[in-house]
Amino acid sequence: MSVLKLENIGYSYDKKTKVLSDVSYEFEKGKIYAIVGKSGAGKTTLLSLISGLTSPHDGKIYFEDKDIAKIDKYNYRSKFVGVIFQSFNLLPHLNAVENVILSMDVAKMKIKNKREYALDILKKVDLDGEKAKRRILKLSGGEQQRVAIARALSYNPDIILADEPTGNLDGVTSEEVISIFRRLANEEDKCIIIVTHSPEVAKAADAVYELTAI
Amino acid sequence: MYIIKNALKSIARSKGRNILIGIIIVVIAISSCIALSIKNAADASAAQGLQQLNVTATISVDRQKLMQAAQGQSQADIRTQMQKYEGLSLTDMQKYAGSKYVKSFNYTLTSSMSKSGTLTPFTTTASSPSSTPAPANSNAFAGNRTGADTFRFSAMGEQGDFSVTGASSEAAMPDFVSGTSQVTSGQIFDFTSADYSCIISSDLATFNSIKIGDKITLANPNTSTEIYWFTVVGIYTNSASTQSTNGPRFSASMDPANHIYTSYNSLKSVTTTSASVATVTTDSTTGLSNTTALREQVSGKYVLPDAASLDSFKADASSMGLDPNYTVTSPDVTTYQHSLIPLKNLSDFASTLLLIVILIGGIILIVFNIFNIRERKFEVGVLTAIGMKKGKVAMQFVVELFVVTFISIIIGTSIGAVASVPTANMLLANQITAQQTQSTQQNQNFGRPQQGGNQGGFPGGFNAIAGNNANVSYVDQINAVMDLSILLQLIGLGILLTLLSSAAGVIFALRYEPLKILANRA
Repeated sequence: MSVLKLENIGYSYDKKTKVLSDVSYEFEKGKIYAIVGKSGAGKTTLLSLISGLTSPHDGKIYFEDKDIAKIDKYNYRSKFVGVIFQSFNLLPHLNAVENVILSMDVAKMKIKNKREYALDILKKVDLDGEKAKRRILKLSGGEQQRVAIARALSYNPDIILADEPTGNLDGVTSEEVISIFRRLANEEDKCIIIVTHSPEVAKAADAVYELTAI
Repeated sequence: MYIIKNALKSIARSKGRNILIGIIIVVIAISSCIALSIKNAADASAAQGLQQLNVTATISVDRQKLMQAAQGQSQADIRTQMQKYEGLSLTDMQKYAGSKYVKSFNYTLTSSMSKSGTLTPFTTTASSPSSTPAPANSNAFAGNRTGADTFRFSAMGEQGDFSVTGASSEAAMPDFVSGTSQVTSGQIFDFTSADYSCIISSDLATFNSIKIGDKITLANPNTSTEIYWFTVVGIYTNSASTQSTNGPRFSASMDPANHIYTSYNSLKSVTTTSASVATVTTDSTTGLSNTTALREQVSGKYVLPDAASLDSFKADASSMGLDPNYTVTSPDVTTYQHSLIPLKNLSDFASTLLLIVILIGGIILIVFNIFNIRERKFEVGVLTAIGMKKGKVAMQFVVELFVVTFISIIIGTSIGAVASVPTANMLLANQITAQQTQSTQQNQNFGRPQQGGNQGGFPGGFNAIAGNNANVSYVDQINAVMDLSILLQLIGLGILLTLLSSAAGVIFALRYEPLKILANRA
């Protein structure tokens, strides 16, 4: 059964430049999906539509059979979808663990020791205790990417959206990140949707959707 | 809860920014605290002073009103019109004393009498001024006599050497009540009897070697053969007399030393006798009649429980039949209101200061907050992208500002509380100096001599005639102390400033779309 369903999605910038037209995809839990396509094909736009950061001009998006246009998008974003942005979008004045805890707070997670829990998640993405206490700008690109993943995982969402998660990373680190996604899909039954240019990432996915520029 | 936590962390993180906001609010709080303290203290001081004021009122002819009504009429018509409205008779005055707003009523009868026998008025000039009985028709403004009992001082008579006052009670002798005058030898006369006993000043007693128990003779200035005997039962000292200068006077009776007090009944008996033996003549040219009877003036003073009763008494007297051409006035309230001018100016200044501080402070804070939120645009984008509602993001900014405001207000209020009393009194002193300088300058402009206290031999008169108020005793100390109401007002002000200044920032925050912010950043 699909956790997410896109039905004839259409989107245009400024109501003039059409980016997406009649896109219909289905996504299931426990699988990794790769959305590929040339630059300007609308991959990041599609990710924004799925995460509820913007709304489609045509068609509908269903999350667990509910039209996301009719649900509280803030609640949807804070609890059911974890987004890993291409530029991470972590708060630079907070350290790694504080960024993770902030997402848990926003999701209203009721856990006694949030800090311990956040440290555990950071450990899962191979970020040790010392680095977890560093300010974001004191971390490398790969480490920031892990913090962004940890943040997306912290409130245990059903869907994880990742925009070019390996774009800024070297080969070894990219492989590590892909293995994290694989583990999340297989062991934690998450639906992983990755927007990528990378053939390696596409190869690791269970299904690949290709967007073509209009 | 996490909003407060985040807000506190954010404050701790951006120390420089928050210290700057804090300094602005501390300055606003200090200024507001001082302004509010001054305003409250000035208002309280005015209200309290008015409450404690011993308010007296008099009923007199509203001459201004009559003159306005008489505009365009001939002098003779105006005279006739004015003579209709002489001072109220004692019977009428007593009628209005029955008002429920009158606490007590006292009255005096005043007359002017001349020296007789060995008694000489006290004077410092070599040749003592003496009144000589004038021809009966010498008065340009003579009143028509309708009967001895209703004849009052409106018709001018000759000025005597002594001013004789008949008092109805102790309260009718305010100089003795206040302590300006004091019986130092003998005793006060019996207010109820008409035994012609009197008290005289120590100056007059020494000047004439008069002792307690001696008899003095006073004559009617209109006819020197009409003589009255009084027994001296007491001698008093008058500090106003002591302070008076030895300058020239128009008449000996103007010297406080020549002021003789007796009971109302004694003096009334004298004036009644005088009226019964008086000669009445009629001026062939004007047709006005004139009398040689002693002139008398009765004046009544109503003691009211408080200043608020003044208006009630006015209304009550009117409903009891007081002619609209008479007016009820209270010199005490007027004088007190005059004494409050510097305080009122200070209070107005405080209000203006408060308004300016709030306006300028508010504008600075609004601009500051708009820039602050614009700087934190990315934070707004990230927080809303991870699912924090815009309202909560805005709330976090409001809490941040509120905490900084609250701490700053406490600091500012503490400093303001300490500074308000000396600042208020310093500003008040400046106001008083400005007021006095204005009055002094006015006197100089009119060529009046610089006088202090007693007005050069015209006690209580010259100042009023000249219309200046240089010797008004201004309220010169206020207790500008912080109290709970000021603290609450400041907190209210803080909340208002926080809401006002953060509102602009919040509107900005609510307008941001997370996707746009993050896309721009990327």
